[in-house]
Amino acid sequence: MTQEKKVTVKKPAYIENDKLADEIRDLMKRKNKLYFNIMGSIGAGKTLLLERIAEKLAPLYKVFVINGDVATTIDADRIAKRGADTVQINTGGGCHLNAKLIKNELDKINIDDYDIFFAENVGNLICPSAWDVGAQKNIVVVSITEGEYVIKKHPIIFKGAQIAVINKCDLDGMGFNSETLVEDAKKIKSGMEIICTSAKESTGINEFIAALGIKI
Amino acid sequence: MHEYSLASAIINQVKQIVKEYNAVKVNKIIVSADPYEMIIPDLLQDAYKIITDELEIFRDSQLELLKLPAEITCIDCDYKGEPAEEGDKEFAYNFKCPKCGSRDTHINIRHLTIESVDLEIPE
Repeated sequence: MTQEKKVTVKKPAYIENDKLADEIRDLMKRKNKLYFNIMGSIGAGKTLLLERIAEKLAPLYKVFVINGDVATTIDADRIAKRGADTVQINTGGGCHLNAKLIKNELDKINIDDYDIFFAENVGNLICPSAWDVGAQKNIVVVSITEGEYVIKKHPIIFKGAQIAVINKCDLDGMGFNSETLVEDAKKIKSGMEIICTSAKESTGINEFIAALGIKI
Repeated sequence: MHEYSLASAIINQVKQIVKEYNAVKVNKIIVSADPYEMIIPDLLQDAYKIITDELEIFRDSQLELLKLPAEITCIDCDYKGEPAEEGDKEFAYNFKCPKCGSRDTHINIRHLTIESVDLEIPE
């Protein structure tokens, strides 16, 4: 025989992920490491930006990049050629990274061997916003080729970000416009740093690195 | 697409409660979420069903989603609570402060929460 029982829970569904994310954040802080979560659409230029950053940081710092993609090791291979150590997570069908996936990779290395960590999230402006990966700062990269409404259409991911990077600014005035995106980024969250870059032309990279709080 | 991850997170947590109470069946799970979770209710239900069909204890259980109102903090006057109205015409989530009228407001995101679980436990 059984009886019915109502159990009051009142706990976030993300509790395990958030607990692990806090553990990662505490660990990085304790060890005096920097750790950033780079989010953005497919084709926004996240990987090329990380290649540019890796080039600049490699002579001064030991950098570790965790790349998230549904398939292939293309991104991790590209960034590895620029002087950072990298690892690729293949999520299969998963549309975002999470704290457990990051922790699994951190457990395989000696964190003390590195100074700065980056997670390049799966290309997507929706799902990654809900999953804390334990980073100290969340960065959203949008490119001006994604259309002038891209920030308006995806407000939540910007609400949770500390830095917005407007990329592909070398195409400004060539049928694309960075001004609207900069204005929208200012309106969507006060206090968010906004950086215009062209990863292709390697402009704005120093400003981005400075916004991350890294001295070069 | 993240509904599958959410359904998994709910089920994994409820599995622990099932263990704790030595339950033989889960009848119903009530969860709540604010508008920023961007949950598509039908997709969450589909994901829940796909996962629980494989789990004897969860099979045929119900998942109920309670929709919570938005909550904001006003950057200009520190008001905390429900906004005066939905976002402005231009910005879907730029809510207006009912106290000072500012639209410079941050969202207090209240993540998907498991409110309660109805179990069948041995007498």
